[in-house]
Amino acid sequence: MTDEASAQLQARLEECIGQPTGKGGPSFGPDEVNLPMIRHWVDAMSDHNPVYLDDEFAATTRFGGIVAPPAMLQTWTMGRPTIQGLRERGGAPSEVGSSMLSILDEAGYKSIVATNSELEFERYLRLGDQLHATTVFESVSDEKTTGRGTGYFVTWVTTYFDADDVVVGRQRFRVFKFKPATATGQTS
Amino acid sequence: MSTPYPTSPRWSDIKEGDELPPFDLVLTASVIVAGAIASRDFMPVHHDRSFANAQGAPDIFMNILTTNGYVSRFITDWAGPEAMLEKISIRLGAPACPDDTMRFTGSVIRTERRGDQGVVEVALQGVNRFGAHVTGTAVLTLPAD
Repeated sequence: MTDEASAQLQARLEECIGQPTGKGGPSFGPDEVNLPMIRHWVDAMSDHNPVYLDDEFAATTRFGGIVAPPAMLQTWTMGRPTIQGLRERGGAPSEVGSSMLSILDEAGYKSIVATNSELEFERYLRLGDQLHATTVFESVSDEKTTGRGTGYFVTWVTTYFDADDVVVGRQRFRVFKFKPATATGQTS
Repeated sequence: MSTPYPTSPRWSDIKEGDELPPFDLVLTASVIVAGAIASRDFMPVHHDRSFANAQGAPDIFMNILTTNGYVSRFITDWAGPEAMLEKISIRLGAPACPDDTMRFTGSVIRTERRGDQGVVEVALQGVNRFGAHVTGTAVLTLPAD
């Protein structure tokens, strides 16, 4: 890529900073925080912390009752998947717009790998909490070359709110969107 | 009568340098798929091997929500039911694939009193046959005593 093209790409990417990652508007979870989904999670991870399922015990702790496992934060706002056609859509569970990532796709940086996750919990969630979330692009690096290839580190932040619009948690997520160093398979 | 639940350590007994009990997570396709679906992550690379192979991956691999779930479990298996996590900050490295074991280790790197809360920061990692899958820190509080 010429220096000029590279500068134009960088400028287009930087225009996305502060913008929503998707089609705009908050994403709402299909269900409120509920016991069956907590039980499903606890069983999947064999996590026997009693504050997640045992109301009587949880009442004796600082929580005063059942709380959801904190790492489930993002789970509560995951959309309902459309399983039919999952492969044909390249594995996307649902149709999503994503400006900065689309720009990088079009510029040939088609591979993606997650590099960092930061979860912050303002409070633990209780049964009946109804969450919504907004996600904005926070930053983009200059073009970098790593062992994986050449590309850009893109960071976005999702903020989770309860029904009263009070922040309950955040997730900062960083990916490397890149052209692989050695062309392999379909990723080049 | 059910088995007694574990209790949290006293915050004042926790010292910088204390090691958490290591945790060996046996990785199977069932473990990876169960975590992906319980976290409602239906990306096929986490449950469909032939799709993962077509993407250049050797097998299905663990999703990040599940990684955070096991990090959280590793912390609270030690810190007990009174622990409240405030932050999990991780760097992702090697994938976690079936037919492997991933060992979580960690140690206390900071303690600090904040009013009636005792803050504990832990450095941790989860390592499998490919190397470090997860490296990072977690911050939790316990009631200060």
